[in-house]
Amino acid sequence: MPVLNGRELRIVGFLCNWCSYGGADTAGVARFDQPTDLRVIRVPCSGRIDPLFIAKAFMNGADGVLVSGCHPRDCHYAEGNYYARRRLEVFKQFISVLGIEPERFEYTWVSASEGQRWQEVVTKFTNQVHTLGPLAPIPEVALSQLAQTTGTDIREEA
Amino acid sequence: MAKYLKNDDLGQWLSELGADYKVYAPVQEGDSIAFRPFSKGKALRIDRHATVGPKEILFPACEELLRFSYQKDEENPGRENIQVQVEENATPTLIFGSRPCDARGFDVFDGAFTQCSVKDSYYIARREQAAVVSIACTRTENTCFCNWVGGAPDGTNGSDVLLTPIQEGFVAESITEKGEALLAGSNLLAEATPEQEKEAKALRAAAHESLPEAPDFECMPEQLYGLFDNMDFWEKQSAKCISCGACTYLCPTCHCFNITDERQGNEGERLRTWDNCMSRQFTQEASGHNPRSEKAYRLKNRVGHKFCYFPELHKGHIACVGCGRCIKSCPVSLDIRQVVTSAKECRLPAEDNDNE
Amino acid sequence: MLDKLKESIKAALPELDFVMGWGMGYDPLHATPLYMYEPEDVDNLVWGPLNVHNLAVHLPSLKGKKVGIVVKGCDSRSVVELLQEGLINREDVVIFGAPCNGIVDMSKIRKAVPDAHFVHSVETDDNGLTITTDKDTHKLSLAEVMADKCTRCRFPNAVVADHFVGEKREPTVENDAYEDLESFESQGFEERRDFWMTEMDRCIRCYACRNACPLCVCRDHCVAQSRNPHWVSQRDGVRDKFMFQIIHAMHMAGRCTECGECERACPMDIPVLLLKRKLGTVIHDLFDYDSGLDAEARPPLLAFKLEEESIKEKDW
Repeated sequence: MPVLNGRELRIVGFLCNWCSYGGADTAGVARFDQPTDLRVIRVPCSGRIDPLFIAKAFMNGADGVLVSGCHPRDCHYAEGNYYARRRLEVFKQFISVLGIEPERFEYTWVSASEGQRWQEVVTKFTNQVHTLGPLAPIPEVALSQLAQTTGTDIREEA
Repeated sequence: MAKYLKNDDLGQWLSELGADYKVYAPVQEGDSIAFRPFSKGKALRIDRHATVGPKEILFPACEELLRFSYQKDEENPGRENIQVQVEENATPTLIFGSRPCDARGFDVFDGAFTQCSVKDSYYIARREQAAVVSIACTRTENTCFCNWVGGAPDGTNGSDVLLTPIQEGFVAESITEKGEALLAGSNLLAEATPEQEKEAKALRAAAHESLPEAPDFECMPEQLYGLFDNMDFWEKQSAKCISCGACTYLCPTCHCFNITDERQGNEGERLRTWDNCMSRQFTQEASGHNPRSEKAYRLKNRVGHKFCYFPELHKGHIACVGCGRCIKSCPVSLDIRQVVTSAKECRLPAEDNDNE
Repeated sequence: MLDKLKESIKAALPELDFVMGWGMGYDPLHATPLYMYEPEDVDNLVWGPLNVHNLAVHLPSLKGKKVGIVVKGCDSRSVVELLQEGLINREDVVIFGAPCNGIVDMSKIRKAVPDAHFVHSVETDDNGLTITTDKDTHKLSLAEVMADKCTRCRFPNAVVADHFVGEKREPTVENDAYEDLESFESQGFEERRDFWMTEMDRCIRCYACRNACPLCVCRDHCVAQSRNPHWVSQRDGVRDKFMFQIIHAMHMAGRCTECGECERACPMDIPVLLLKRKLGTVIHDLFDYDSGLDAEARPPLLAFKLEEESIKEKDW
């Protein structure tokens, strides 16, 4: 795949059980070529996705996050994706203040029969994240500790 | 003999000390002041009390006690072997710019971690390698009350060297042998002249004068036991408390901690982190019962521990150094001095009976 | 005006367990929440720029009591939000309001008066504060040291009150322009991230931001201290501290009234309000909704439209 020239990035996908997971499966069964950066997590409904799942994925090193559910009006639970749409849009606009490019996160709708659309979404999103490159890791330790482990010795500076 | 260090030589002296020690000093961070590894680019702030004291240098907010990993036994795949790794990494550390109250906080830590039946090897390792260079206070803030709890603006407990800031520099006195070695090791320090020593003495005396008169806390344990079941008193005292941990985490003497395993996959660490008694979870029991479910019980414990239970276990040493951070940084300005004096002045039921 | 306020509190006090207001704190520069149980307690009430605390934070924990609360305009929005969410009963709360000229930001005072910890006396009037320390005297205009939220105040008078004393004030501005946010976001993404890394690094995890927040109502059951679910670990790195702030902000989306208590309460002066301001403007732009104004309104994230005109979805 062209996007794999260089390094594979970490992209997390949250897919609803009823539509998008099926759509991804359809794409797979049809043997459509897809980039391999995406790691899929299946959830019952896009309405189940707490935006904090996405935040947590970024904190833990994801370079991009994709959420996909049933098309509006097609939710298996009637309204889950309507609530999701509001939450996810708010979250998408929110993350720019955190210093995370909004383009690192997308949400969309793919039905179980839309294998072709799934391929397109994954390919475009993966390309989009590759354009931005990897997201600098958020340190797990205190910055002063980080300075030590990376060899910036305070004693030499002082 | 007292020594003298010029203001201009301070940075140079810290750099010299940096050869043998990892030097921590109070620096500006955002709008607050915290102790950080000192480097030349950082703005040293010794003109006022640091927002957060040097406690975390000897008692980190989060410390790795050990690392562990699980591995399948090669011979017997049904069995898991656990590998445990303990890393002791205490290095010579110098705390510069603590105040006498901050340093005195280490006395309380020593009492809790080195003198009880269980010795805390992690703390002891750091404490033994640490040198403390404190700065005497020549001006006292509104929240200062070190003299109420047995301290002084120029107290020496817990410090190895005490500096007194005078017009152009510092008069430096060694308190311990370690401190003597620190002062002897540099050419930057000259013998202090009698005038300089006199100036320092006068400034220190003035600081003593500026503090409010200290109430007598001799009767506190008795008073606090007497008030133990007076929940009306504690509810009123704690009414405005919002149960955050600012007071405990900024306190130079608070030393409670939590131990948790943070596991990711087959490996993880056992961490010790600060905990605080103002949080409901502090005493939450696995059964669901919580002996301190309301903030009134928790404030009672905080005050009781500092002024009654700890002194009883440690030769009368009050577990409060009067630095005033819990007052100054409290989001609702809850004043521990006022709680303690109210408790002191509260007439106990027994006395009422005598009067009747 | 203060006398009138005291009178109306005294008149209502017999029916109430107590009334929450402000009294003077440990020094002349700090007010502190005052609980008025008896009429003589009311004499200690103060009203002015030092009344920084939002007392609505205590209301949800006072269920079962009938209490009074004195509010500034911003505080009253928190009360409305609590009413909207059914966390307090209207009939259990008596609200006393008065026009607010703005409150101080202690960090700004500390910058203007480095000796603020040595203050001897403070005089306040309509124009500002006169602060006398052990060394000198500083005259500060209120505008200089006013909390940022007051410079963009749209509701200086309580939006809900049973007893309102004094003459209503005109709002400072008509609309919040979110200039602070705009200037922050004029930086690159990397700079913004670096900013948060440095700021979060000094967090001591005291959770004062959470506990001072009138709408953080999970209190003792917060995910920050839960082992299961394990949203944040006990590691004290930037990652978990930052994650907590994101959790706090997201849990406030569509609810936060930007009262700024989180930021004011922070002992380490971390500007955490900015995160909530961002959500405030996003919610406002998307759903034309301002929280804490109408107790009967439906919060935007608990509602939806079949067609969302304001949401521009990505075209693949």
